[in-house]
Amino acid sequence: MHWLTTALILLPVGGALAIWILPLQSFAVGSTALLVALAEVGLWIDSVARFDFSKPGLQLDQRTSWFSDLHVSYHVGLYGFSLWLVGMTVVVMAAAIAYAFWAGRDRPRAYYGLMLLLTGALVGVFAAQDLLLFYVFWEAMLIPLYVLVGVWGGAGRLRATLVFVIYTMAGSLLMLASIIVLGISQGTFDLVGSGTNGSDWIFLGFVAAFAVKAPLFPLHAWLPEAYRESSPEVAAVLSGVVSKAAAYGFLRIAISKFPGPTSDFRIPILVLAGCGLIYGSLLAFRAPDVRGVVAYSSLAQLGLITFGLFAVNDLGLNGAVLQMVNHGLISATLFLLAGGIERRAATGELARLGGMARGRPALATVLMTTGIIALAVPGSTAFAGEFAILAGVFRTGWAWAVVGGIAIVLAAMYMLRLISAVLHISPGPAVSDAALDLRPAELGFLVPLVACLLVLSAWPAAITDRSFGSSPSSAISEVLR
Amino acid sequence: MNGPDVVWYLCVAAFLFCTGALGVLIRRSPLIVLLSLEIMLNGSNLALIAFARHHGREDGQIFALAVMAVAASEVVVGLGLIVAMARRRLDLDVDKLRTLRG
Amino acid sequence: MIAAAWICLFAPLGAAIAITLLGQRLTRRGAGYLATTSVGMSFVAALVSFAGLLGDSPSQRYHPSTLWRWLTAGPYDFGMRITVDPLSAFMMLVVAGVGFLIVWYSIGYMDGDDEERRYFAYMALFVFSMLLLVQSGNLLLLLAGWGLVGLSSYLLIGFWHERPSAIAAAKKAFVMNAVGDATMALALFLLIQRTRSLDFEKVFPQAPAFGGWAANLIALGLLGGAVAKSAQLPLQTWLPDAMEGPTPVSALIHAATMVTAGVYLIVRTHTLFEAAPRVEELAAGLGAATLLLAGLIALVQTDIKRVIAYSTMSQIGYMFLGVGLGAYANGMFHLMTHAFFKALLFMAAGIVIHALAGEQDMRRMGGLRQFLPRTYWAFMVGALALAGVPPFAGFFSKDSILAAALAHGWYGQLLWVVGMVGTFLTGLYTFRMLFMAFWGEPSAFVREHFHALNRDVVGVSLAVPVGVLTVLAALGGWLQFADVWTPVSNWLEPVAPALVEASGLQEAASSAIAVVLGIAGIGVAWWIYGARRAEAPRSLPLLEHKFYFDELYDALFYRPAVFLANALLKWVERPLVFGSVRELAGAIRELGLETRSIQTGLVRTYALAIAASVAVATLVFVVVR
Repeated sequence: MHWLTTALILLPVGGALAIWILPLQSFAVGSTALLVALAEVGLWIDSVARFDFSKPGLQLDQRTSWFSDLHVSYHVGLYGFSLWLVGMTVVVMAAAIAYAFWAGRDRPRAYYGLMLLLTGALVGVFAAQDLLLFYVFWEAMLIPLYVLVGVWGGAGRLRATLVFVIYTMAGSLLMLASIIVLGISQGTFDLVGSGTNGSDWIFLGFVAAFAVKAPLFPLHAWLPEAYRESSPEVAAVLSGVVSKAAAYGFLRIAISKFPGPTSDFRIPILVLAGCGLIYGSLLAFRAPDVRGVVAYSSLAQLGLITFGLFAVNDLGLNGAVLQMVNHGLISATLFLLAGGIERRAATGELARLGGMARGRPALATVLMTTGIIALAVPGSTAFAGEFAILAGVFRTGWAWAVVGGIAIVLAAMYMLRLISAVLHISPGPAVSDAALDLRPAELGFLVPLVACLLVLSAWPAAITDRSFGSSPSSAISEVLR
Repeated sequence: MNGPDVVWYLCVAAFLFCTGALGVLIRRSPLIVLLSLEIMLNGSNLALIAFARHHGREDGQIFALAVMAVAASEVVVGLGLIVAMARRRLDLDVDKLRTLRG
Repeated sequence: MIAAAWICLFAPLGAAIAITLLGQRLTRRGAGYLATTSVGMSFVAALVSFAGLLGDSPSQRYHPSTLWRWLTAGPYDFGMRITVDPLSAFMMLVVAGVGFLIVWYSIGYMDGDDEERRYFAYMALFVFSMLLLVQSGNLLLLLAGWGLVGLSSYLLIGFWHERPSAIAAAKKAFVMNAVGDATMALALFLLIQRTRSLDFEKVFPQAPAFGGWAANLIALGLLGGAVAKSAQLPLQTWLPDAMEGPTPVSALIHAATMVTAGVYLIVRTHTLFEAAPRVEELAAGLGAATLLLAGLIALVQTDIKRVIAYSTMSQIGYMFLGVGLGAYANGMFHLMTHAFFKALLFMAAGIVIHALAGEQDMRRMGGLRQFLPRTYWAFMVGALALAGVPPFAGFFSKDSILAAALAHGWYGQLLWVVGMVGTFLTGLYTFRMLFMAFWGEPSAFVREHFHALNRDVVGVSLAVPVGVLTVLAALGGWLQFADVWTPVSNWLEPVAPALVEASGLQEAASSAIAVVLGIAGIGVAWWIYGARRAEAPRSLPLLEHKFYFDELYDALFYRPAVFLANALLKWVERPLVFGSVRELAGAIRELGLETRSIQTGLVRTYALAIAASVAVATLVFVVVR
């Protein structure tokens, strides 16, 4: 019995309640939210210290019965890989709240409350070990997002929210049906120790929900608008964390509990992931604005992560977990930078930007560093993840790795285009001398993200060595134990 | 008991019912539709009482009394509607009264 | 010795990080000194490692060392692993030594530039990356160094980022290198599948056991990377454009070190190539084709740096020819001498460009011999070394390769002929460049724009490295002489035993013919450009357009990618994003409209419906009962 995981879930929720109830002024509201977010990071560091990475099973777990006649319980706990995903979540959320605090948001109480609620729900998704509890947190994650996108978004936010809602709800309802059938058929809703299932339809119900959220081509219609219209930090959270919740779902539920259907449907899913990888890269190459490039590259990267997950071998799974953390940090940084650029130039269109490197060394350094890591230059952590994923998926078939190779070249093309279009040659029409370099506050939330990426580039084994216990080849069966 | 067989009563009841049903389906004046509806109800009442007599129990008779009460209330509402329609100089033609279409 | 190797590797990285973090607090000159000192430290550390190896007996000269685990996945473990062995020590000395001289030279060359600190940070990063590449003890870390070197190249080519041509060149270089990275990664995936490891001592002994097609694919993938990095056919188009970067960058990256990484790779993984002999021969063939192609294109170039760039491409072709035929030590020897004289040529050209306030077009130069006498002599030494005239460095190294080609069989002899033609071309274009720039009467442009360089720190930093390299270009070749005196071959024997050895007669004959051809080329150049006794023939459009490779790649790759992306956007993305929800909403609306027709509003319809339903229900009831 360990309270730490529940604390990780409830601390931000408590913070949200405090913000809503207590009569604080707007500045105090923002700083409270930021403090809660940082405390959450501290709590996570504590859990890392208490975690024993050599053992493969569930740790820091807690279980109490909820609906005893249906065998539903409040069961939360963390594996190695979920610990890293929770870490990425709390760091990205802290950076997002810091961005909002610096940029200023109207109706701050509602806003920060929702952000903190979102944090708690996201941690809950990664920690839940009971199907119904997982579903509760999954939906709890979506509600604040609807409001955050729909109220604090840009000009086209209503349409974006509508499409987002429709797609996500459709997937979630299919997942609910699968959960109910699975829970009833195996007698318990608990994920740990409840064995595997061979039903294709239940598997597809889960895959539908996760494929919409990730997103997996061609269910990505909600992505461009949602990422473009939401405010930068919400886009950072959407692209960085929420998509990983879907990838986590693939790993924890779809692949672990349905080994038969996984190998039956592996080829179609890999085909879709590969299409998403190439398609996203090509569209990123031609996207006319900063957000578009990052959004489509997100689609491509999730395709890559799905590649690794459905390779279902050591290299693929470890690479996928590493890449989940990497991409979360990378896309969060890129979206926050995009927000900074849009504030300075009043536009994100690449045709109107340019030449921002002159006189703005901090911006140039941060954007350049992040962009170069994003395109997975060999030596970076993104490369380590990509290499492991492609080496893993190569064992399934050489064609997948060739697709990955093409994606490597395309990634170089679109990222360098982005960097040059923003930083190089002459200042664009929207860039004036009044657009300053990155302020110390901005560096305060960007530098930690970049620093994490650089540390991981020097030491990717920090994650891959500690995700599945000391014997990851038996990881999946261990995960069920 | 004396009198004709239960069957004949049922035939009369059926005849009344069908006449009423035909009237409801074919006639265009709401007043006549209401009249036909009454005839149907009377047909059903007759059938109920005939069966009550046949089984020797009073359930059918009680049911018939209930039906009479319902018929009376429904006529009140129906006639009230028709009077209201006439007051507004609406065409008392069931085919023309179709504002509630989807 | 191991500690020295790690210091050698990390010292430049430390300098790069320090320069980045210190920012404005460090003076520009200070950044230069910091970078130079760190590379100097690397060189000293490399010497220490080298000395340590000398103390070992030849069969024991192999010391791997892992600092931490870099990437793990189940039974796979790729560590942060370096190796100190003859080949890596050789490369460490070349990279750190020549790097030190060039970074020192940069202090003078880049003096006054606004962004000197950024330049020196990038240079230090590059030296770190190159050392990582040559010191790494497993293929994954080698690929990491490979990519970082490409990154540094991108950063430095695009250093003057306000020039569109520089940015375009930087992007082109990076993307072409990325293609090589991708093929190398594919080769590594295949290797992992076979050997479950990428450490050198685990992979190389297993090479002969791979199947035919697996060995060929692995070697082909590695060759793809080598060809991209070394700017050989067919991935050579990025190198001339890379001249957009500052001249020291061209000297260090695009002459002495990065572009030679492909040669290093082939020598390092030679067992993998020997398991796929056709691919190895392909490497030699590509090298030969490149040396001819580059030599021809160099004849019509008017930018002094581009002539030297094409000359680099051509000389690396020689190296590929050598290692492709199994003459590994000869190829590496030429790598070393080439580093000396090519860096020298670039640096001397840099002094010329600086003196003429940035002018690089040779047609505007002339008569600089009078204005820059010492530079002229340095350039002359470099040119003679390049042309392969004894006793300068190039003669020994290049001819050893050609002699080995002669010994290889009919294929080698064919390539020998190509190499000989190349020698003639080399003499021709090199001295065309020298005569056009330095001989004759000073042109009007020179008279107007020449300004002498001052004697202070700037002058010293420009002069001393050039001087050192002049000496090395002159004497460096004496390190190995045919069969008689072979310390280089002996040194590299444990790591890369040569497959071919030329006989004394072949050596002598080949050298003699090569020298004659080289001097003939110089003679023709003197006839046309030096003494102006004849007009240069009109150049072919084919040569001026560099054999149309740029146009070919544009049509074959870039335009289709753009077309495909635009088509996908129009035909897939727009309908999907805008259409899908609209389609769904439309479908539901249609359904609603259909259902709506039931509500007619007629009492009679409803009554009929009730009657019909009752009838059906009664029927069913009766039937069922």
